[in-house]
Amino acid sequence: MSGIYDLIVVGAGPGGYEAAAHAAQLGKRVALVERGRTGGACLNVGCIPTKAFLRSSRLFADCRNAQAYGVRIDGLSFDLPAVIARKNRIVGTLRRGVESMLKRAGVEVIRAHGRLASRRTVAADGRVLEARNILIATGSRPAAPPVPGIESALDSDAILDRPEIPHSLAIIGGGYIGLEFAGFFSAIGTEVTVFEMLPQVAPGVDRDIAARLVDSLEKSGVTVRTSCRVTAVNGETVHYQDEAGKAQALRVACVLNAAGRVPVTDGLGLEEIGVDFDQRGIRTSEEGRTSAPNVWACGDVTGRRLLAHAATREGVVAVNNMFGRRDRIRYHAIPSVIYTHPEIASVGCTEEELQAQGVAYRRALVPMSISGRFLVENEGATGAIKVLAGARHGEILGVHAAGDGASEFIALAATLLETEMCAADAAGIVFPHPTVCEALKSAILQVL
Amino acid sequence: MAIAVEMPKLGNTVEECLLAKWTKAKGEPVSQGEIIAEIETDKATFEVPAPASGTVLEIFFEEGALVPVFTNICVIGTPGESAAEFAPQAAAQAPAAAPAAKPDVEARPAPERAAPPGGAASPRARRFAAQHGIEIAAIRGSGPNRRILEQDVREALYSNPRRSSLARRRMAEGYEPAGAGTGVNGMLLARDLGEPGVALSRMRRTIAERMRESLAATAQYTLTSSAPAAGLLAIRRREKARQPDITINVLVMFAAIRALERMPELNAELRDGKLYRRASVHLGFACDTERGLMVPVIRNAQTLSVAELAQAAKSLTNLALSGAISPDDLAGATFTVSNLGALGVESFTPILNPPQVAILGVNAIELRAVRRQERVEYEDRIGLSLTCDHQVIDGAPGARFLRLVGECIERIESLSGLQA
Repeated sequence: MSGIYDLIVVGAGPGGYEAAAHAAQLGKRVALVERGRTGGACLNVGCIPTKAFLRSSRLFADCRNAQAYGVRIDGLSFDLPAVIARKNRIVGTLRRGVESMLKRAGVEVIRAHGRLASRRTVAADGRVLEARNILIATGSRPAAPPVPGIESALDSDAILDRPEIPHSLAIIGGGYIGLEFAGFFSAIGTEVTVFEMLPQVAPGVDRDIAARLVDSLEKSGVTVRTSCRVTAVNGETVHYQDEAGKAQALRVACVLNAAGRVPVTDGLGLEEIGVDFDQRGIRTSEEGRTSAPNVWACGDVTGRRLLAHAATREGVVAVNNMFGRRDRIRYHAIPSVIYTHPEIASVGCTEEELQAQGVAYRRALVPMSISGRFLVENEGATGAIKVLAGARHGEILGVHAAGDGASEFIALAATLLETEMCAADAAGIVFPHPTVCEALKSAILQVL
Repeated sequence: MAIAVEMPKLGNTVEECLLAKWTKAKGEPVSQGEIIAEIETDKATFEVPAPASGTVLEIFFEEGALVPVFTNICVIGTPGESAAEFAPQAAAQAPAAAPAAKPDVEARPAPERAAPPGGAASPRARRFAAQHGIEIAAIRGSGPNRRILEQDVREALYSNPRRSSLARRRMAEGYEPAGAGTGVNGMLLARDLGEPGVALSRMRRTIAERMRESLAATAQYTLTSSAPAAGLLAIRRREKARQPDITINVLVMFAAIRALERMPELNAELRDGKLYRRASVHLGFACDTERGLMVPVIRNAQTLSVAELAQAAKSLTNLALSGAISPDDLAGATFTVSNLGALGVESFTPILNPPQVAILGVNAIELRAVRRQERVEYEDRIGLSLTCDHQVIDGAPGARFLRLVGECIERIESLSGLQA
């Protein structure tokens, strides 16, 4: 098919494919250019596969702990190849689902490497496609920190298809990727050590909440080394400087590089067409515009929030704006979750951010055990929820929770932020009993 | 007997009105004076009262129709009477269903009407939307050609949780919408609010009231001219080191006092239809302070030498700037001088401070071309703007006074005794 497209999307991750489908539903002619697999990092090597792994490790841990619930299980073992097979089956199902959704929506999917030949054309393996708008949604890839020997470490993509359970594992990077793998491997019996350069793991998470996560991880056998800089990886040995600056070494069976992700901006022709970007990503406005007219960007490639749901929203916002529907993304109300055990879920400002901004606030920190349901569901576990609200009007500024179930109710907290709900008004919302989210209600009542 | 109700003409420029709402239906009884319909012009909503008691026999237009003025909109009479004779002759724009009562009128298609400038929304609708921070483009209009009416905007406002919980609280504190809502579904968020209005200080309120009263109660006009500034500049140059308080403004004040002595009709007060000429010149001079304009008064200024005048101006200015000035020092002026020359102003219209009848504005000194015999020369000249109350000072005496001030400025060196 030839002719001018209303929109060409480069990259078929959750930012790109949702934007393409949305534009097609608006009656636009849309092409989606993807060189790899549909679904992007999220579906193939990110959110979904890791959640499949964590479901299995959680079930395994629950079974080991079944006695505490009055259930006896004998002869328990963990079958990693079967877990990988299940993960692959789920990923396959979802990928086919996305592909058929794109087909139904009428999006033309082009399997090729897309490069921006101009602000109006995309070169796709020899073909030149013309478009009124181009949306860059090329995502991110695992970062390789400047550490000698780091290339011998596995990255988060590779470790998902390794069928052996390592006896011991060193994880470089204490962000959400490193912590989720730490939780998974420690639950299935691996001796895990996490190295984090910063004084706190899970950077960006409220300090009180992060501290609870570290407690839980350590209780389950994970060694967390903060303020530690890995200086070299030599096969199975990790060389690092400890907190005191002393050179140390740790020998493990396997090394995982989880030092974050970097935007994929190379090979796109961005310099030539004048799109402003740096190593953190393509600069975009709240409407999804780049510095070049007709060129838009969404998702990890913008370096703003490396989250699938942020990418999706950014893509939809860009599409709305390019076709005359005014829209903007409200970054302050985008929730984020770390799927460890316990889950960490948060939205809005942390207490540290409020202090740094000099905002006067009220604060409530409530133990999850205030909820009967939490006690019933989580034998031996603890958790907490923190609610931060404006000092004058009590508008909810941040909600941070550690405890299983938090990932499901954090959307409610996001709604409170999106609608600038003040605690006094939120107090009128009825929460079902018994549920874990009653802890949130409790905390809201404390910041009235 | 049946009578027709016309679309009233609500203003000289109003050609047609929108029939916004019927408050009585066909067949309903009405009594005289009862409201039967609401109509909307571009500026306001009005009610149409029943001219007589009876029954609504026929309604010729549907809600939302644009009806030319003096066109019959309905008929009131006794049941059984015919209303057909009152049917309007020309089809008004967009009567969606043709009125049953005019079968004899040939149906003509309404001419296609261009969308009103500024978008298909009534000005009232636009104003209401702006006041409440609603994006008007997102509203479906219910008027003819989907014109957006105030009622539509009102419905949009109340059908949604349009303001966030926080925005509502902020608005209660005086913050106002500064644009359309940018939250979910156009919800108005705190960030969409502008700064709250600030109540005027007592002093500002006084200034505002005085200025308004001045413009309302006098017939002020301003004359502008200029005078040679060589003498002013020469004195300033010579005395600056020794007597820094003898500023250009003080010298102009001194010249004005000399002129007032010769034309005392400008050194006067007009109260309750009587003009009081004052023997003494109590000279007010405008002083820019942090709290706003103050006008300290130098008493019996005609008795002071330049140095004494400078000294008096200086000490009153300091008192005004520090806020320690007594109210007595701010009252009783018979003439005022206001200087904006230091800020580069070339001409302005000083506002009278009643009951005074004149005020002199002092402008910047500028280099101007002047014809001397056959030659053009450049000369430093100071601009003067004199505002007079035409109730008592006609143009010619005002101009004569201004010329006199100019002459005094030109001769300032000899008048002040500060020759080289």
